[in-house]
Amino acid sequence: MRKYLTVFAVDWQNQFIYRLNFVLWRVRNILRLLMTYFLWRGVFNTNVSVFGYSQNQMLTYVFLVLLVQTLVTSAPSSDNIGGEIGNGELSNYLVKPVSYIGYWFTRDLSSKLLNIIFASVELTLLWLVFQPELQIPVHLLAFVVSCILAVFIFYFLNIATRFVSFWTPENTWGLSFLVIILIETLAGGIFPLDILPHWTNVALQFTPFPYLIYYPIAIFLGKITGIYLLRILFQSLLYCAIMYYFAQIIWRRGLKVYASEGR
Amino acid sequence: MAVIEVKNLKKYYKVHQKEPGLSGSIKSLFNRKYYDVKAVDNVSFEIGEGELVGFIGPNGAGKTTTLKVLSGLLYPTSGFVQALGYTPWDRKPAYQKQFSLVMGQKNQLWWDLPAIESFILNKEIYEVPDAQYKKTLDELVELLDVKDILKVQVRKLSLGQRMKMELIAALIHSPKILFLDEPTIGLDVVMQKKMRDFIREYNKRFNATVILTSHYMDDVKELCQRVIIIDKGKLIFDGALDEIIKKYADHKLITVVFSKNNVELSDLEKLGEVKSFEPPKAVISVKRASAPRVAARILEDFSVADINLEEPQIEDIIREVFTGKDFA
Repeated sequence: MRKYLTVFAVDWQNQFIYRLNFVLWRVRNILRLLMTYFLWRGVFNTNVSVFGYSQNQMLTYVFLVLLVQTLVTSAPSSDNIGGEIGNGELSNYLVKPVSYIGYWFTRDLSSKLLNIIFASVELTLLWLVFQPELQIPVHLLAFVVSCILAVFIFYFLNIATRFVSFWTPENTWGLSFLVIILIETLAGGIFPLDILPHWTNVALQFTPFPYLIYYPIAIFLGKITGIYLLRILFQSLLYCAIMYYFAQIIWRRGLKVYASEGR
Repeated sequence: MAVIEVKNLKKYYKVHQKEPGLSGSIKSLFNRKYYDVKAVDNVSFEIGEGELVGFIGPNGAGKTTTLKVLSGLLYPTSGFVQALGYTPWDRKPAYQKQFSLVMGQKNQLWWDLPAIESFILNKEIYEVPDAQYKKTLDELVELLDVKDILKVQVRKLSLGQRMKMELIAALIHSPKILFLDEPTIGLDVVMQKKMRDFIREYNKRFNATVILTSHYMDDVKELCQRVIIIDKGKLIFDGALDEIIKKYADHKLITVVFSKNNVELSDLEKLGEVKSFEPPKAVISVKRASAPRVAARILEDFSVADINLEEPQIEDIIREVFTGKDFA
């Protein structure tokens, strides 16, 4: 445990080196929030309720997307995994008594913590500027639990994608890009998923994506309650396990073909 | 006692072949031709505790691949390998805590932070107790003389300074086995020498087993009592460095500087194989046994300003071994 705390501490220091990069990354997130915020504001100028969302709910959704995305789907650190496999940097970790998967998870957590701090400040400022009426949380605890599960689901999904580099060390950029697009839309980062036709929602719960952003926020807003809430939490847990084993299998197979090139 | 045991080790890679040009690229998308590269082909050796062994061979000979198998990075195609009683590719922490792999070409240090941060991280990863860490670090810092640059960002260090830091990072857990892959690559002559002195000192002081690969014969000549020569994946020599000379060098070199410019090439060719002739200087290769006799004749027949009788350079012998001259 202590070794991962040290990884966390060293990564934390390292983050402050790339200050400009970090600031630009945060600016990008704020711009995206502003875009969707004003879009929905416009829509609600002429409507009282859209797709079953009141203005409060929708604006809360937009605000929460920034928070949940920062917590769950931002992984600036572990995005390096594909490159490290391709250029043989992975060898550095394989010879040491440290888990590669645990190592990058720790580094992700470190960057998530820094990002969450900034996201909270940003959200407070934006709230003070626009003064929107926001919905108060319905199931705060369930929201937190589903967010934590989402962090794990996303991490395992992300590294499994990166591990494809074992077979195509040239690059996995194409695949990563596809996953990013899928996550942005299918996870609910751009709009709430229940504005899509009902059958899409039913189908999507059999993919890992909605568990990342949409379900946590829907739980917060009270769109998911009672037995349905328990079922979604259980399914999240199940996905956590499935994605974990999935990533593990790819990792073990990948190591068999790993050639430690370029070293 | 053998610390490292390798028997009939084979490692083949599947490599896909691409025909040149765009049409070749398109073809390779659909129909890839694979062929086997025999990086290591049936190699066996044993290394005892405290030995300092040099691996030599041309690029792509299989030296690095062998080191990678020994450090558990690669699964071999076949063969038996054991180090300190462990199978390397099981990657057991108990084994990992006892060896270190240093590659001269790349680094493990955190680029944007002072090297000391990487040392601390390694200390925790290898679970080194505080007191031992402090003692080892002090010792290494003193040996390598890097006290004043510990807190400098790694990116600001020179290559030589960085290499020293790399070594400290790799040795902070006091490994019993050290795999050094081209540790002196890219370093200047002074730094190369310092690095060599350090490796020798480390080997002696801690009775550590060291395997070293290098392109620089000086590294091997100065450090290793024993060398293993690998070429095209096969082991072609394993033994003391002097034995290579005895085994392969059946001739000696006579270098003569004449005091008069009246010597003809044809005169010299009678004596032995003329390696070079740039009047007034000539280098003649002669059979080991007849060397004293030929030297005496030269002194008798010509007016000589200087004469020198020597063993051929180890580099030359090894080059000849690699270029396929059959010695068997």
